[in-house]
Amino acid sequence: MYRILVYIGAALLLLGAFAFGVSLWEGPTAWHTDVRTFWGIPISLFVLWIGLAHAGTLISAIFLALGYPLGRRTSMVAELSTLCSLAVAALFPLVHLGIIEKFYMVVPFLDARGNFSNLRSPLVWDFCCISVYGLVSLLFFATHLFSEKFPDLKKLIRPMAWLLFPLVLWVHTIVSLDFAVTFVPQWRGAFFPLYFIAGAIYSGLALVIILLTAEHCRVRVLEKLMLGLSWFMAFFWLWEFLLKGSFSFEVVFLGAVVPQLMWLRVIRENAFGRLLVAFSVLVSLGLERYILVTPSEYNAAEYFSCTDLGLVSFSLGLFTTLFFVFRAKFSSLLEGEDVVMGEIVLQQDESDKESEKISIPEKNDFSILRLPLLLGVLVTLLYVVWAVSVENANLAPLSVVNVAPLCLPLLVLVASFTLCARPLWGISGKRVKLVCAVLAGILGCLAGAFWAGGSSDVSSGVVSVQEVDSPKTVEFIWSSRCASCHGQDGKFNEKFVREFYPLPQKLTPVRLDTLGEDSLVKVILDGRVNMNPYRGRVSEEEARGLVRYMRHLAGEGE
Amino acid sequence: MDAILNALYCLMALGTSMFLWRRPVSIFKEMGILALSLVVFGLFSYLTMDLAEPTLEYMPFRMLALCICFSTTSLTSHKTRYLVLSQVLWLWVEFFGGLTFVYHGLDMPWTRIVAIGAGAFGGAFLSHISREMEFLLMVYWIAVWMFF
Amino acid sequence: MDRREFIKACSVVALMQVLWGCRRLPDLSGGKVPEIAEFEKEVRLALSRAKGAFDLVQVPMPGPLDVHGASPVNRFGMAIDLDACDGCGKCILACMQENNIPLSSKGERDAGRFMHWIEMHGGTPAMCFHCGNAPCEKVCPTGAASHTPDGLSTMMYKRCTGSRFCGANCPVGARKFNYVDSVKEGLARKFNPEVPLRSKGVMEKCSLCLQRLQDHKHAQMATRPGVEWRGSGLKTACSEACPKNAIIFGNWLDQESPLVQEAKHRNLYVPREIANLDPSVVYMRGRR
Ligand code: SF4
Ligand code: SF4
Repeated sequence: MYRILVYIGAALLLLGAFAFGVSLWEGPTAWHTDVRTFWGIPISLFVLWIGLAHAGTLISAIFLALGYPLGRRTSMVAELSTLCSLAVAALFPLVHLGIIEKFYMVVPFLDARGNFSNLRSPLVWDFCCISVYGLVSLLFFATHLFSEKFPDLKKLIRPMAWLLFPLVLWVHTIVSLDFAVTFVPQWRGAFFPLYFIAGAIYSGLALVIILLTAEHCRVRVLEKLMLGLSWFMAFFWLWEFLLKGSFSFEVVFLGAVVPQLMWLRVIRENAFGRLLVAFSVLVSLGLERYILVTPSEYNAAEYFSCTDLGLVSFSLGLFTTLFFVFRAKFSSLLEGEDVVMGEIVLQQDESDKESEKISIPEKNDFSILRLPLLLGVLVTLLYVVWAVSVENANLAPLSVVNVAPLCLPLLVLVASFTLCARPLWGISGKRVKLVCAVLAGILGCLAGAFWAGGSSDVSSGVVSVQEVDSPKTVEFIWSSRCASCHGQDGKFNEKFVREFYPLPQKLTPVRLDTLGEDSLVKVILDGRVNMNPYRGRVSEEEARGLVRYMRHLAGEGE
Repeated sequence: MDAILNALYCLMALGTSMFLWRRPVSIFKEMGILALSLVVFGLFSYLTMDLAEPTLEYMPFRMLALCICFSTTSLTSHKTRYLVLSQVLWLWVEFFGGLTFVYHGLDMPWTRIVAIGAGAFGGAFLSHISREMEFLLMVYWIAVWMFF
Repeated sequence: MDRREFIKACSVVALMQVLWGCRRLPDLSGGKVPEIAEFEKEVRLALSRAKGAFDLVQVPMPGPLDVHGASPVNRFGMAIDLDACDGCGKCILACMQENNIPLSSKGERDAGRFMHWIEMHGGTPAMCFHCGNAPCEKVCPTGAASHTPDGLSTMMYKRCTGSRFCGANCPVGARKFNYVDSVKEGLARKFNPEVPLRSKGVMEKCSLCLQRLQDHKHAQMATRPGVEWRGSGLKTACSEACPKNAIIFGNWLDQESPLVQEAKHRNLYVPREIANLDPSVVYMRGRR
């Protein structure tokens, strides 16, 4: 069964891989865009898959956190689907970029040139939230997966679920802000956070129902939830229509009308019937995202090119392959002993007291959460204070509102890793430990490189500062430090400098004289526009010598 | 927006909250009531509010959040937890709604957000919620809704 | 390294070994540089495909800029005289030549896209309005789009990752994206050595002829040191090229500037979408 599904996935993947390659190669021309829309299919797929990635954690973590745990198999399937859809979702913003290799520029950290990404942009929040979400879900999945073998981990699960619960909702809220903060008339809406969350949960439930059907089991409570959510989605679509006049028949029909078939016993009790409804929901939501992302006057869906379809098939294929490969691999761990737990019927009076007693004991030990949470709050506070106070010549100062979207992910990241580090370390084998250590080392080095790059005077200890005693020394400093851009002869090194815009001015004697020696010394020490600061690498005396030398070179050139 | 209309919205939220969590509790019933009240809130605010007013965008959802807050007082178990959670939901709606408005040049409703935040934070420390406490909480929410 | 080369480096290495000798990579550089006539032809084409007219609303005269670190003495901007403009399109061509704007490829033209920084909206030329409170800058993740103290909304091409968020958030669609590599496709011509050619995958838009401003500033500092620079006597390429003198460039904060002199007596308008965003470029119509 799984093998067949893997083959189907691989076939779709191969079909789509071509489109994926073309998109990488050609850049954003590969898919359909027009005068008004710059984004197109990758962002729609991103929103769709990130939405699907929510169901897993939602189902498993939120139910668990609130004390209504689902069967092990259900939650594991859901969590695995989260991880796989996240992997798929994360690919598309990268494909979307004009210059892929510069993606790191959105990381909200100082880089080597003192550049700080623009924390006011929802894209930066997005990047952070999604990376954190990926990491924490992985952690949660690992804890959950191994808790069968190592009962020690069991006590971590509920605290972790409580950490993930707000994060899941937060992530999709942030994704919705990508749209809601813009001035595009079709994307206006202070209600977008809820709209997106509801859509994400809705589509995610559909996906989990499909995956559970492949497991030959069903969880009625999820079906009920899906049906209930369809009414909310219907309201959201009504609200969209009232506010902006946007309405799509296909979306509403597939997303709100077809699910009502679940009222019929024949459909509900039949695996194919359930599959039909779930797929119809997925198609509806996919279409809805596409229509949302491409707000054109005409029906953009008619312009679907082969690449667009290919990318859709790629995402489907990648997900199916990933999911079922891992599913087969973890088979023994996933199923555990309570295979039958897939079939859970939530009692009618589930939210009442009686059912509480059979679920995990209420007074689960949450005290282990205290220290990690404290640490998380501290780190977050530190980060906020730091980010708000970073001086950035290019950008307006940040306000708390701009940094707030990063707070929760940071808190959860720190808290969950402090929480799980020790117990997980204890149970992991030698190989895993080694890999972790190496990874941590690499990460540390990267962070260090980032950090060191932030300021240019770290080198003061490395480079000895000499007194300028002769023209020869100045000439030496010039050729070692300045000549790479300014040229050995004081004329610009064209090959390098033409990349700057606006072009730097020629350093004529007149210009040097008007700028004045003192201000030029300052420029050398503190940097300006394209010029890097050299404080700590040359002394003030040397800088003065360099200015005179520059004057001398410019005079020669006349 | 005039105060009478605002009071009316508050009353509507209070009114619909009465239907929630009545025994026997079932997923369908609660979700149905919530969705229906959302429709009512939506249509009502759409008809009564000025279309050019940006806060119309999230009005029904604010009302829904308020309604859920009110309804938690009638729960029989885990009252504190759901009290906090429902206020966090309200906070969520207000904060992120306000954030989108900030990007459109409006001001953040800070007093309201701080008030709701304080309510949620304070609520977390209530171990036992008496009748009087419930009443006080409802008054507090109404005050936050009406005056901030 | 551009996107193609990056991917080439990553994934084609293995393929190259297999195909070594039997495959010659096509030489894409071509070295072709388009004729000036082609630029003229494209401008004519763009004129024939003008976009819909703006819905204009009246605004007061732009005042000092309300952004971080704004200069109290300079705020550059333009006013376009709708009574004088007859939509000839000479400004578009002048701007292309001043700023090395490439031609659009066939695919781009079919999709309705031109790289022109000035476009006709129902007979009136429109470029970036240099909003004082620019929404495009707020959403740029890397800070490549930022404001200068003297009121220009600028682009740092080297810092742009091409996320196109700014383009989506510009209410008037003033931003242009380099979908194709215009140099390799032979669509770009370097008219002006002071302005670099943009690489594939970055955003661009009207810079208010930043390079002219900068030159002017340095020239004045060199020849008349000590005198405060207000940009007087300067013109942008489009305002210089206009035969009807319908585009007036100047400093909104300088009472002597021709811009203020003229705008004082006129009614000022901007598109409705950006009326609240404090634009520096406005339209003029009627006398007061
Ligand atoms: S007109 Fe558009 S591109 Fe220009 S500053 Fe305003 S928002 Fe940005
Ligand atoms: S001001 Fe300069 S860059 Fe802007 S439209 Fe005019 S010529 Fe082009």
